[in-house]
Amino acid sequence: MHIIQTSDLTKRYGTHVGKSVLAVDRISFTVEEGQVFGFLGPNGSGKTTTIGMLLGIINPTGGAFSLFGASDPKGLLAARSRVGATLETPNFYPYMNGRDNLRIAAAIKGVGRCRIEECLELVGLAGRAKDCFKTYSLGMKQRLALAATMLNDPELIILDEPANGLDPQGMREIREIIGILASRGKTIFLSSHLLWEVERTCSHVAIVRKGRIVTMGKVKEVVSEGTSVLLRAADRTTLAGAMERYPEVTSVRCTDDGIVVGLSSGDLASVTRYLAGQGIYLSYLAPHRQSLEEVFIDLTQDNADSMTKIAS
Amino acid sequence: MKILSVLLRIEVLKAVKRKVFWVAVGAFVVFATIPTVEGVRNTRRNPNLAYALPESWPDILGTAAMGPGPFFVAVLMILLCAPEFSWRTGRQNVIDGLSKERLYAGKAIVLAGLILFFIATPVLIGVGGTLFSPSEGGPAVIRSTDLSYMGGLALILLFFGSASLLLSALLRSSGPALGVFFLCLIAEEAVTGLMWRTGERLRAATQYLPFNVLEALGDDLVHYPEELAKVNTELAERGSGPWEFLDLEVLAIAALTYSSIFLAISFLSMRKRDL
Repeated sequence: MHIIQTSDLTKRYGTHVGKSVLAVDRISFTVEEGQVFGFLGPNGSGKTTTIGMLLGIINPTGGAFSLFGASDPKGLLAARSRVGATLETPNFYPYMNGRDNLRIAAAIKGVGRCRIEECLELVGLAGRAKDCFKTYSLGMKQRLALAATMLNDPELIILDEPANGLDPQGMREIREIIGILASRGKTIFLSSHLLWEVERTCSHVAIVRKGRIVTMGKVKEVVSEGTSVLLRAADRTTLAGAMERYPEVTSVRCTDDGIVVGLSSGDLASVTRYLAGQGIYLSYLAPHRQSLEEVFIDLTQDNADSMTKIAS
Repeated sequence: MKILSVLLRIEVLKAVKRKVFWVAVGAFVVFATIPTVEGVRNTRRNPNLAYALPESWPDILGTAAMGPGPFFVAVLMILLCAPEFSWRTGRQNVIDGLSKERLYAGKAIVLAGLILFFIATPVLIGVGGTLFSPSEGGPAVIRSTDLSYMGGLALILLFFGSASLLLSALLRSSGPALGVFFLCLIAEEAVTGLMWRTGERLRAATQYLPFNVLEALGDDLVHYPEELAKVNTELAERGSGPWEFLDLEVLAIAALTYSSIFLAISFLSMRKRDL
């Protein structure tokens, strides 16, 4: 079952052609039931705007989307009752205590008071529930946001940077909570900068850059997509320069070990032939398994325009 | 109906937990009590003065409600609505499952509640005061003219509340919204003065400017024609011209029209703009 489906979803801020900003540019993706879907991208890439459109707080300027198969306003409103979400920083009434803030969320979601206590216990805030929200640390605010998210035992959980401001212990707890929710069969849509967390937690991933999806799929497929090789030669600089001119190259990155080169095809013989033709003789050539972080950096750095073209 | 009770519940919770709400309510209760205490005390001192129903309705409604009442409604509306944008709690309410339309409906409930409170409070205090007054009133507790005055008060409060809701929705921050609100009051004074000096036609048109409509609607003479006739007779004896107001219906329609426009624009703003 499609839990989230977007089709050419677009958001442009401003109406003047010269001054308008295309925050989300025809994004299309599908999240299936039970997936833990990572939504990655650098700051300003359109992640939060996309989530905002799904949650009904930002009006799309183009395209369409559905939640639980519903795409009309009435259906979407009903579908959103099956969603628990946090967006950017936790937004609560600063003059109220944690419990009263959850009472408001609970009233909107139509859940009882006992559920508030359960969720406060779950995120470890039961002891501070009577304290004013404005006295909370950022980590506690994030936990309260997570508690609000889980109040209605949602089928779809959307978390936008849930580990923001958390210490390592807090991050681990968030990961554990996400793991528990995923094991219960919840569908999770997670936007995060913590790539190693996403690689460990998510089953699927989409990487966005400048409002467009540059790659998407199962995490395992994305990290092994294309061919990545580690090259060494006597003169690194010449090697890197030559590989940047190679027609099938998708990325070139210098590391301590050598030059890591992304290729759109697996024809390594052509690479050695090309380099020999340039007067460069390799001392080392080996396949290189990229981490999600490396894929992310390759796809989202500014000189990766060629990748955008290939992916789209 | 269920959603209305949910909206009422959450808006009440949001309001009663704010200190500024209780400060404003307390201050208004004091304002509303002072003229009643004064009226009862004067009656006890001087038996010729009456503080009884229905004769004292203009005093009960006029002194407290027509004076600070609209400003309290405006300020409270801004303080209860605008922070929903600056704190982004309105956005969180929508994420939690309210539609933007329902978020707006919640604010409309706040407006209705404030109007009701700011009419009911001076009425209850005033009526309570008459119980302690030695003077005897007329046969009816309330007359149609008193109801008309109460209706006028409700329209004034509706105008101030809806204007504040509009400023909250457009400016999304309580400081600028309060600032612009008071600037509007000053600006209309200036515009009225300018129009008054420009010519006869524009002078007549100043009667339809928002705050002039409200000023007329809040004047007890508009609602009590017998009192107006008495005043005009006295003025005629002194050789002055009579006091004239637009018809009550015209004033009511003008106030309602302004409020409806403000409510419609704030609704569209809340629905169309991103949170």
